[in-house]
Amino acid sequence: MTQETLAEAPYLDVAAPTFSIRSQAVLDAREASWYARTNYGIAVLRYDDVMKLLRHPKLRQGSYRWPELSDVHGGLFARWWGAMLLSQEGETHSRLRRMANPAFSPKLITELRPKFQALANKLIDGFAAKGECDFIAEFTEPYATGVICDLLGLPFETWRELADIAAEMGLALGVTFKQDLATVEAATARLLKYAEDLVALKRANPSDDFVGMLVQANADKSQLSDQELLDMIVLAIFGGIDTTRNQLGLAMATFIEHPEQWALLAEQPDLARAAVEEVMRVRPTVTWVTREATEDFTYNDLPIKAGTTIHLFSQSATSDPAVFPEPGFDITAERKPHFGFGGGAHHCLGHFIARGDMTEALKLLAQRLKNPRFNGEVKWLADSGNTGAITLPIAFDPA
Amino acid sequence: MKVDVDMSICLLHGQCVIAAPEVFSFDDDGGLVWVAEVDEAQRADVEAAADACPEQAILLG
Ligand code: HEM
Ligand code: HEM
Ligand code: SF4
Repeated sequence: MTQETLAEAPYLDVAAPTFSIRSQAVLDAREASWYARTNYGIAVLRYDDVMKLLRHPKLRQGSYRWPELSDVHGGLFARWWGAMLLSQEGETHSRLRRMANPAFSPKLITELRPKFQALANKLIDGFAAKGECDFIAEFTEPYATGVICDLLGLPFETWRELADIAAEMGLALGVTFKQDLATVEAATARLLKYAEDLVALKRANPSDDFVGMLVQANADKSQLSDQELLDMIVLAIFGGIDTTRNQLGLAMATFIEHPEQWALLAEQPDLARAAVEEVMRVRPTVTWVTREATEDFTYNDLPIKAGTTIHLFSQSATSDPAVFPEPGFDITAERKPHFGFGGGAHHCLGHFIARGDMTEALKLLAQRLKNPRFNGEVKWLADSGNTGAITLPIAFDPA
Repeated sequence: MKVDVDMSICLLHGQCVIAAPEVFSFDDDGGLVWVAEVDEAQRADVEAAADACPEQAILLG
């Protein structure tokens, strides 16, 4: 392919407030071409290409320069951002990932499962009798944050404070980052202090739980320094809350649109695990991941220059009829894997936790909330980047 | 101990290569290769790799 055809590839204005990853424009672009041009580099639209490029050795994770691109230089947030796992590549990334792995082991999930169930039941108890709730404010947000509290060994009552700090720190991801800098810095300082206190506690009382495992990894400082230990805890808090909150909200919205699937899940709770996968295929909260070319290379005859930003459109890829010929939402279908947790070297480190907690939540919700339906206006985040509902009023028949 | 990978579920994330680089690696074509028989000294690393594999595709015997 020549530069001429590059200019002819479809164009998607991904920065437009009305842009939707599920729009006809994206479907048409995917039909016409494996990639589209965008405001920032290219977007990859099809399953096989997203699969390959997630693992491409000439690509690195693409948001590492975010603070600098937002004209924020220095400060606690920018330092943390540049140093944490997601922004690192090569040997440093590998070393941090090796050190963190034991804390994220699937073995720890078995012990957490009863805690997830107790948390879900407690939250449902809080609103079940009413027959209605805001599913985000009354379930997914306290649940996602409560899971992190369980993980960190903090009492559930801490959840509101933790959620607020994470939300304030999250302002860093918005277009108003620079204006919000003072709030972001204060929140980052508080979260780092939280992490410090937890570490001090675990050093005094060694244990085999999440923070305990990270503290053990930190025993050899040449492998995991004190600062890296704190940065990892902050990343788990920051990267684990909004993602889980949004993904569970998207699950409920999807099931409301497919009531027969919800009834099926209530009848067959063992389908909950598969339900999580099917939801993440059709409505992933992380609709795309970003990569950046580290050197010039050619892919599918397209020359890609070093520094090019590449959006891998997970949502578009896993709704591709060429690969998923049976359309629709079916929790009993055998499907190819989705990209809701990314893939390759940066594959979500928290996926065993997220899969475990969402499975338990869906299982209990389907048992206890019959015939869920929309009950007022749903407020949505933009249908691009990291998406989900901000408020999701629902009504249901308590079981 | 014996090491095997179920290539029907492996998605080539390379988390095993990160966890145990002396046992797992990618060849020039991006295919996964591994040492099929490792000695006791490598047990901890290989177990860490099996634990970390997102698809749980690594079989130890
Ligand atoms: C439904 C919930 C979740 C979703 C959809 C999700 C999704 C993702 C995705 C797509 C990535 C890759 C980003 C990229 O490649 O640019 C990622 C990375 C990551 N996630 Fe998650 N995540 C979830 C929950 C969690 C939880 C609960 C934790 C921690 C407790 C967590 C910790 C991380 C970390 C540390 C990384 C960085 C890994 C690396 O760079 O090597 N995530 N996640
Ligand atoms: C751990 C799980 C995380 C996942 C799955 C995730 C995923 C994503 C995705 C899909 C996007 C939109 C595409 C892009 O421009 O890169 C994004 C953007 C971004 N994320 Fe994350 N992210 C995670 C954690 C974080 C964390 C911990 C931060 C730190 C504060 C962060 C900061 C950003 C920033 C600054 C952007 C760019 C926003 C924009 O372009 O509008 N992400 N992330
Ligand atoms: S970590 Fe698992 S899925 Fe990834 S390459 Fe290794 S064996 Fe395959």
